[in-house]
Amino acid sequence: MPDHICSVCGKPAENKIKERWFCRDHFSSATHQRPHAWRGFVLLIVGLLVFVGLVYLLDAVFKPVLAGSALVWAGILMALVPAVVWMIFFYWQDRIEPEPKGYILAVFLLGGLLAAAIGTPLLESIFHVSKWLYADTAATIIGSILVVGFSQEFLKYAAVRYSIYRSVEFDEATDGVIYATAAGLGYATLLNIQFVVSNGGVDLGASVIRMAVVALAHASFASITGYFLGRAKFEQKPFWWMALGLTLAAIVNGLFNWLRGQVVSSRISLGSPSSNPWMGLLLATFLAVLTSGVILWLVQRDIRADLASEI
Amino acid sequence: MTETTLTKKTFSFGDHFSEWLVAGVTLVALLAGWLYKSSVENRSVQFENSGINAQTPQGWHNLTPQGDEVLHVSDPLSSGFGTTYIVQRIPVEAGSVVGQAASLLTLQRGQQLTAYRVLDQKPVTVYGQAAYEMSYVFVESDPNLTHDKFPNIVHGLDYIYMSGDHVIVVTYWAEKHSYDYDLGRFQRFLRSLKF
Repeated sequence: MPDHICSVCGKPAENKIKERWFCRDHFSSATHQRPHAWRGFVLLIVGLLVFVGLVYLLDAVFKPVLAGSALVWAGILMALVPAVVWMIFFYWQDRIEPEPKGYILAVFLLGGLLAAAIGTPLLESIFHVSKWLYADTAATIIGSILVVGFSQEFLKYAAVRYSIYRSVEFDEATDGVIYATAAGLGYATLLNIQFVVSNGGVDLGASVIRMAVVALAHASFASITGYFLGRAKFEQKPFWWMALGLTLAAIVNGLFNWLRGQVVSSRISLGSPSSNPWMGLLLATFLAVLTSGVILWLVQRDIRADLASEI
Repeated sequence: MTETTLTKKTFSFGDHFSEWLVAGVTLVALLAGWLYKSSVENRSVQFENSGINAQTPQGWHNLTPQGDEVLHVSDPLSSGFGTTYIVQRIPVEAGSVVGQAASLLTLQRGQQLTAYRVLDQKPVTVYGQAAYEMSYVFVESDPNLTHDKFPNIVHGLDYIYMSGDHVIVVTYWAEKHSYDYDLGRFQRFLRSLKF
């Protein structure tokens, strides 16, 4: 029997990173930076902004007249675009050392399924959030963090933690961010599809902005949890580490929900209440850029520290 | 020993404790959220008019009472038809009984409300007070011809009390899908009602 076994594959281990042992292959992957994953996330942001601009422009120029099921199907197709854009860019960038497509797709679907089976029923039919969440500012912030934030972020965490996390394919610290982003996009896609179906179809120009906002925001929240998941697998972290990650993601989720309401409907009008969805898109883009930037910096810093502490 | 077994063994007690802590923190947050939700929904303000006082929900729109109405409040956060409480104080002839008042109210509602149908009516005791309960439905009719939404089916509930030479009619209107959920809050309002 070997003295130590690899934390990822269970084979005899030779190297150690802060109390966790790794075989030669997985030590190499655990300290690998994988720049392609970050480019995939940045391209998701750019790709979505281009997509929004394009749909908005086409809608304004051609003014397509869609009705009934055609309108619903057009909306559902638009809801799928953010996830497709991310997957295309991710695989295009990651083709040299790709994650298994099946696992990425499975985690994406699991995120969506958990949203449909637990997330939405919990918020709409048990917590009845629409009845009280917007009563005042305090209710919006506290309710968005405790109820919306924690329930949504726990389900995205569960989609990764109880599926791919223990697999040998989860062999790099960056994998936490990649798989959590897939779960977040699955969750967002389901929310967008529910929005389209419950409204019997949506105005393409206006709803494309909403869909991009939801996708960028959920991918960003999930990537926070993903960073903590990735570190927890490759380092011996304190028992409260993962709970801290989930709490941070829930707080960002709740604050974003409140802030989005503020910036989208803050204009004073003498007529009917007005809203500016572009401000929501700006906020979501800022959140996505900030989140990916901070996590990239943290991962690079951690890997440098790991290599410095190598035995 | 297989790879799978070895992989499982690499997860320490600390990892499992961490897992349980994440689930525990989420449950505690949801429980705290539930308690906070209840506190938001139970917030109320004191109302007093024409010798009638009650605790009405905080943050609801206070509409200008019309005719015999002394209170008319509506929930701005309801989707579709806003859940509404109305209290009326209607003068009646001496010697009138509550059943007569209920019949008059039915005729009046039949003229005013679209597709009005009485579902049930019976004498009841509400928090120690004798009353007459009427359950009914109607279709919300928005007089605005440019209103481009489907009309809502509204479920109504009246409690009629005799009070000297007046009847006090306490009305609860809610859209069909939110009727049961909002009923608990209406019952708290009813319990706080003094006249």
